[in-house]
Amino acid sequence: MPWIKEEKLETLKRLFPNIKIECNEKISSIEVEKGQILEILEFLKTSEDFGFQMFIDFTCVDYPLHKPRFQGVYILYSPEFKERIVVKTWATDDTLPSLIHLWKGAKWAEREAYDMFGVTFEGHDNLVRMFMWEGYKYFPLRKDFPKEGIADTYLPSLNEPENSIPSHDYNPYHTQLPTIEDLENTEKKRFEKKQAQIVLNWGPLHPGTHGTIWFLFDMEGEVIKHCDIILGQLHRGIEKLSEDLTYTQIIPYTDRMDYISAICSNVAYVNAVEKLLDIEVPEKAKWIRTMMCELQRINSHLLWLGTFALDLGALTIFLYTFREREKLMDIIEGIAGIRLNSSFMRIGGVRYDLPEGALDVIKHFTKDFPSKIKEYETILTKNRIWQRRNIGVGVIKEEDVYQYGLTGSVARGSGVPYDIRMLQPTDAYDKVDFEIPLGTVGDSYDRYLVRMEEMKQSLEIVKQCVKQLEKIKDDKYLATDNPYVLPTLQETFISIEAMVKDFNLRIYGEQTPEGEIYLSGENPRGELGFFIVSKGEGKPYRLRIRSGAFYNLQVFPELIEGRTIADAVVLLGSLDPVVGETDR
Amino acid sequence: MELIGVILGLVVKSVIFVIGMFLLAAYLTLVERKFAGHIQQRPGPLHVGFHGLLQPIADALKVITKEDLVPDFVDKLLFYMASLLAFVPAIMILAVIPFGEKITLFGYELKPYITDLNVGLILALALGSISIYGVIFAGWASNSKYPMIGGLRKAAVLIGYEVALGFALVGPIMMAGSFSLREIVEAQQGFFGAFIWYQPIAFIVFLFAILAETGRTPFDVQEAEAELVSGYNTEYSGMKFGLFPLAEWYIATFVLSAIAVILFFGGWNGPHIFGPFSSYIWFLLKLGIVFMFLLWVHWTLPRYRVDQITELAWKVMLPLTFINIFLTAFIVVIKG
Repeated sequence: MPWIKEEKLETLKRLFPNIKIECNEKISSIEVEKGQILEILEFLKTSEDFGFQMFIDFTCVDYPLHKPRFQGVYILYSPEFKERIVVKTWATDDTLPSLIHLWKGAKWAEREAYDMFGVTFEGHDNLVRMFMWEGYKYFPLRKDFPKEGIADTYLPSLNEPENSIPSHDYNPYHTQLPTIEDLENTEKKRFEKKQAQIVLNWGPLHPGTHGTIWFLFDMEGEVIKHCDIILGQLHRGIEKLSEDLTYTQIIPYTDRMDYISAICSNVAYVNAVEKLLDIEVPEKAKWIRTMMCELQRINSHLLWLGTFALDLGALTIFLYTFREREKLMDIIEGIAGIRLNSSFMRIGGVRYDLPEGALDVIKHFTKDFPSKIKEYETILTKNRIWQRRNIGVGVIKEEDVYQYGLTGSVARGSGVPYDIRMLQPTDAYDKVDFEIPLGTVGDSYDRYLVRMEEMKQSLEIVKQCVKQLEKIKDDKYLATDNPYVLPTLQETFISIEAMVKDFNLRIYGEQTPEGEIYLSGENPRGELGFFIVSKGEGKPYRLRIRSGAFYNLQVFPELIEGRTIADAVVLLGSLDPVVGETDR
Repeated sequence: MELIGVILGLVVKSVIFVIGMFLLAAYLTLVERKFAGHIQQRPGPLHVGFHGLLQPIADALKVITKEDLVPDFVDKLLFYMASLLAFVPAIMILAVIPFGEKITLFGYELKPYITDLNVGLILALALGSISIYGVIFAGWASNSKYPMIGGLRKAAVLIGYEVALGFALVGPIMMAGSFSLREIVEAQQGFFGAFIWYQPIAFIVFLFAILAETGRTPFDVQEAEAELVSGYNTEYSGMKFGLFPLAEWYIATFVLSAIAVILFFGGWNGPHIFGPFSSYIWFLLKLGIVFMFLLWVHWTLPRYRVDQITELAWKVMLPLTFINIFLTAFIVVIKG
């Protein structure tokens, strides 16, 4: 991403002499005092010279030895100048001012920071837990919270009498689990008091939510007057777990976030790490990554189309899309070895070389697929029922995109040309030719059209990749010369140096230089960003995952108000969140 | 003695009809699943019996032997009554539906219907309306949110389409000059005698009404699984659950298709090319085509939102039927 230029930061420093500037090619950040943060952020947002209108992310970093302890990190984007900036501030007394009047998207991010770090926000309208249940005592992402949790619930063994010498290794203390009362409290905290007739629990396990999201609809008749979302049923604490893993070990965890587009998540992550380590990836690996990403994107969009249509009652489309998805799954399995959570990417390249015949199969697929897209479009695009269900539902205006930090197809459906592949081309995206489809109205129908067009564009990219990969058949696919890149299995068997390197990297991890980095990739569900704070160890000090689906889902409660449950299905389908990624 | 004979005859006939209908409905599920399968480029049921021919039996056994759970919080009486209310009236409509001409076998005259009422059509409509209560009761008695919303949705849809349906039937009735289904068929002689040529508007409205009444896509809002889990029958299990789709999706669809054939396609009229059973074969053939058409619609289209459905009923379908009645009256008067 083109970060904000140093000259501009100097101008900013002239206006606000108190700020500290840090500028390098990985990140451009300013550090401001807590008292000034609102003023500076408001200036950055409204000033015409800067125009940082779009909210990308907010998170905290815990430095237990520093006083004050927590650092808040804001990432903003300027749609006008196509630049990013990171603003940092220290949370004195563990509080920060809330930004919800500047950016509505900050609401959930602040709640998450409160949930995970215990930092409170002045002026937040409903500061409750984001992922954990109400009544949970701890703040998991703090450095003093052990990874395995705190065992404080006393549950004695049923067999061992108390005060006897234990015959087996039974620990009577367990980590806390939510009880029914806890969940009821969680629900009550979201809705202070009932406003309408009935509260419908839509989820956590419901066929329409595509995962374990818990929606609360306060309804009058079938019209939803008020809505809230309880997340966290799939929260696995990937950010916490990452702090105890080497960089390579984190790759499989990125699979399990957005499990429908695992390869895209892999690529976004390894790109961030490679940039942190300054690893140059071989040309062939870049093209393979781009190709796999786009195949995965088509795969993911096919799943979206199928389930979206299924939700709207068109049962047959679902099986039609799965027919093509099966072919893609087969291609991905053939290349990566695993269908869904493939962990195909490695730091410095890819896991395997392309198998023989892979390009032929992909070429055949690219020839075959356009007619299939036409088939889906025949059934849906001009269908009057489809149009009546979609047009005018969930209109997202350009302003909302910036306010909520919406990315991916949702932003593009509203006419905002925000595509990481264009703004910050990683891998081979700067060498391929493609277009970004844009919507005009920003309703559910536009998002449908945008995604359909994206599939076609992805196909074009795949075609170009195949053409290129045929030329560079015999190149390396993994930069094993680099000291930070794991050698292949073959190399470890034949050379002792490779074996030692392998051992070192696996045990001690990739010794990254001290520093910070924020790098994102264009996931099918929006911008997937990785903010890594490195302390010069083999493990990240803090790994923040900026999930596109999380921010995209945040707009849901506002859009659904005054609409029916039938529209909730349409809206949720068109926002297309994946719970693995929202909860992480 | 004669009276006993008549009663006995009717009972035997009814039993045959009911059992036949059960089997037919079971096999209609197979037809639907096979049909849907081939639409979706998959084979459908394949392993139980030859090409899944025994699948309906296996399904029926499964549904009957399943544990029948009744939640604590339900209104027991209505809860039990609802599944019967959905099922029994749907089957009772069969009493007035003629499947063909009278035939004489071994000197006995066999009538392929239980009774030929002079208000047959009205009775069919009335019974159809009663079966709706099953759905609404199920939604209410379940004492749970999803079924209630499902039941209310269905009620909203039905109120609209019952009216349109009733008025749509007025056209063919006026042309035939009778409510008796047999007489309506007899009024449509020859290929161009079928009322579809004179009543296209009524037919279209009727088609929409069938889809709405039987809860098939694009009008299956009452059990839109993505929104309401399963709609009004969420709390049901076992055979009590099984009766709902059986009644609604198969028997009601079948019966309404039969009425559509009788009203618009000349019933069993057709060239006598199949020997003595010609009329039955023609009737079933036409019925099959209408039924398949409904399935085709069901497996292709997305569904409407409930307010769009009622809007369609009141703002489009109802005025159309009025226009149709007016035009028909005009034609009838001119023709004398």
